[in-house]
Amino acid sequence: MSPRVKQIVGLVSFAIFAVVVLVVPAFIGAFRAQQLAYVGIYLIALLGLNILTGYTGQISLGHGAFMAIGGYTTAILMAGNEQYGQEGVLAVSGGMKDVWTIPIAGLVAGIAGLLFGLPALRLSGLYLALATFAIAVALPSALKRFEEFTGGGSGINLFGIPELTAGISPVEIFGRELVFNDWLYYLCWSIALVLFGVAWLILRGRTGLAFRAVRDSETAAVSSGVSLAQYKTLAFGISAAYAGVAGSLFAIATTFVNPDTFPIALSIFLLVGVVVGGLGGLAGLVFGAIFIQFLPLWAQGEGVFSRLPGFIVDRTKEPGAPAIIYGVVLILLMFFLPNGVGGLFRRVGQALTRWRYSRTA
Amino acid sequence: MRRPALVAPVIACALALIALPVGLAGSAADPGITADTIVLGGTSPLTGPAAAYASVARGAKAYLDSINAKGGVARRKFEYKIVDDAYNPAQTVQATRQLVESDNVFAVFNSLGTEHNQAIRDYLNQAKVPHLFVATGATTFGRDAGRYPWTIGFQPSYQAEGLVYGRYLAQTKRGARIAVLFQNDDYGKDLLAGLKRGIAQSSARIVAEESYDVTAPDVQSQIGELKASRANVLAIFATPKFAIQSYVFANRLNWRPLMVNNSVSGASNIMVLASEGGKNKAVNGSLTLNFLKDPTDPMWRRDVGMRQYRSIMSRYAKGANVNDVYHVYGMAVAFETVSLFRRLGANPTRAGLMARARSITSAGNPFLLPGISVKTGRRDGFPIQQGQLQRWRGGKWIPFGGLWSSNRL
Repeated sequence: MSPRVKQIVGLVSFAIFAVVVLVVPAFIGAFRAQQLAYVGIYLIALLGLNILTGYTGQISLGHGAFMAIGGYTTAILMAGNEQYGQEGVLAVSGGMKDVWTIPIAGLVAGIAGLLFGLPALRLSGLYLALATFAIAVALPSALKRFEEFTGGGSGINLFGIPELTAGISPVEIFGRELVFNDWLYYLCWSIALVLFGVAWLILRGRTGLAFRAVRDSETAAVSSGVSLAQYKTLAFGISAAYAGVAGSLFAIATTFVNPDTFPIALSIFLLVGVVVGGLGGLAGLVFGAIFIQFLPLWAQGEGVFSRLPGFIVDRTKEPGAPAIIYGVVLILLMFFLPNGVGGLFRRVGQALTRWRYSRTA
Repeated sequence: MRRPALVAPVIACALALIALPVGLAGSAADPGITADTIVLGGTSPLTGPAAAYASVARGAKAYLDSINAKGGVARRKFEYKIVDDAYNPAQTVQATRQLVESDNVFAVFNSLGTEHNQAIRDYLNQAKVPHLFVATGATTFGRDAGRYPWTIGFQPSYQAEGLVYGRYLAQTKRGARIAVLFQNDDYGKDLLAGLKRGIAQSSARIVAEESYDVTAPDVQSQIGELKASRANVLAIFATPKFAIQSYVFANRLNWRPLMVNNSVSGASNIMVLASEGGKNKAVNGSLTLNFLKDPTDPMWRRDVGMRQYRSIMSRYAKGANVNDVYHVYGMAVAFETVSLFRRLGANPTRAGLMARARSITSAGNPFLLPGISVKTGRRDGFPIQQGQLQRWRGGKWIPFGGLWSSNRL
């Protein structure tokens, strides 16, 4: 396939996918819509992480921390003085409506990412992974220290406050009444689709080329005039902004944040999601997001796994079993799809191309 | 640029697969109750850092299974669905929504963790789903019964426990200088607040407070700081891992204050670990408040309740550690739940369940210490308010004095 054809195929696939996303809620219950909303949230975080890790080659084991920054930004802005009583830290009397906090959360996390990108310039490979891991470890404790601001260990509750759209009564959008779960689905997926497009635009142009140059060989990149400092920091900033938006939506969807809602495990799950989805590709990330959201449930014998034979489902209920099943599925996936789901797409695409050219030749 | 061609159809199929329709309950009665089943659900840390607490849910399930084997309650069998939340409140929220909106449970029951239950309390109260017997001693779950009519606790509140320690020290140890190690969250702070109230207007006082985060590797530096305060009492308001460390580090520093260990870490098997095979003398004379029968205590070898406990464990929780006191807790809470449903009659409703849960007067729970009764009232959301102080001597707990009770905290 020529690049032109590929681009058209890509756009058409994206359009079909967008339509599917739009109509899915009509066929599923509100609860499923809510679960799929989380898939959208994880997709946003994975898009960001893949820009950094898959395209620029910088490993981050700390993206849960950037999600936490976004989530807390949203929660603090939404709760406003209700959280802090009369002498609230914020000048606003009430809180801010949830949707307006999303871009702010992205911005705050993005700035945090840029700032973190500066010291990260001196580190590479494993050392960078450790440094990012350190922020994922440190942030939950830091959040507990600033209790008057973050609510400490008890966190901030967002359920039942008027700033939460559709939280108390359904919201009307384009003449349709949406309950909380459906609203959540459309909110998360519309943002996810837009950010998917944005990521694609960033990566297809000059910036994306520079990112890949940095990934493939720093020496070659520098000698071609690519500024390592500029592009590494930029990748960190964009990536963290994506994580911030995801964290913001996560806080809205969960209606609660506390330090334990962004554990170290989240950062690791995100990296697992990127690898399962396929490093250096965008479409496969949808599967990475599905993997993060549903595999822990399936490993307990829920969802599709509950359709397995009874003696297997019974085994999943035993202590420690879910963690083992999760690990086994992950190993099998990596064994059969070493380049993730994105790698599978590529292999199928190449096979089709070969088949087509061998016929015409 | 490689653009895959098959993405959209494949994804569409995947989404359709996940979205296979779920069955809906079709009766006019409250969800989760049919002619032959009562569906309960709750979250539990089956995986992750707090997986040791999973025994609470497992013990409760074993007891409910034993009741099912005897025909259930009013010909209905209990189906108790335990969902893992990995001790992460965000997952508790999702799992609880699944239980309510997809599994259509009658009540959320025995969900574990303080922040975890706080995260779902508003949701369950708005949805008017019973939030029954939360497995945490945070005081808010009993105290705020007015604001959250659908939520009720079970075990003695942490503040009440701290209060008992404070009163005991004030009465028996004149001029006590108390050092406190506490977990930096509501659980640790509630215990500390109770202790402070207990010693108010007495000559006992707190000379040092040190906190730790659950994610911390150890509490060595905190114990060092606390020793430097020259206290003669050390109150350990910490989960088992950190409580054991406190004993070990205090012993290494040759520090022998009177140790007050909270009930969360008070099980005999934990004390045995802390005593390092008899080498650690710092454990001797420790105090704790208890309300459950300890499965390792020889005192209960012939006890009817504990014989029932062991027989249920061997039949319905094969392979589980019978010595784990969290299983006893689970059975105690399941016992009260079964008696609640017995009193509900032939047509249980959610509102009826909560009305009954707010008017319990029951004595003789076979898994609680003798004499402890379970009592609630319209404004009293604390089912268990009694406990027994006991002292660690010669490798086991020896109860002393009568039952302490702390009404209405």
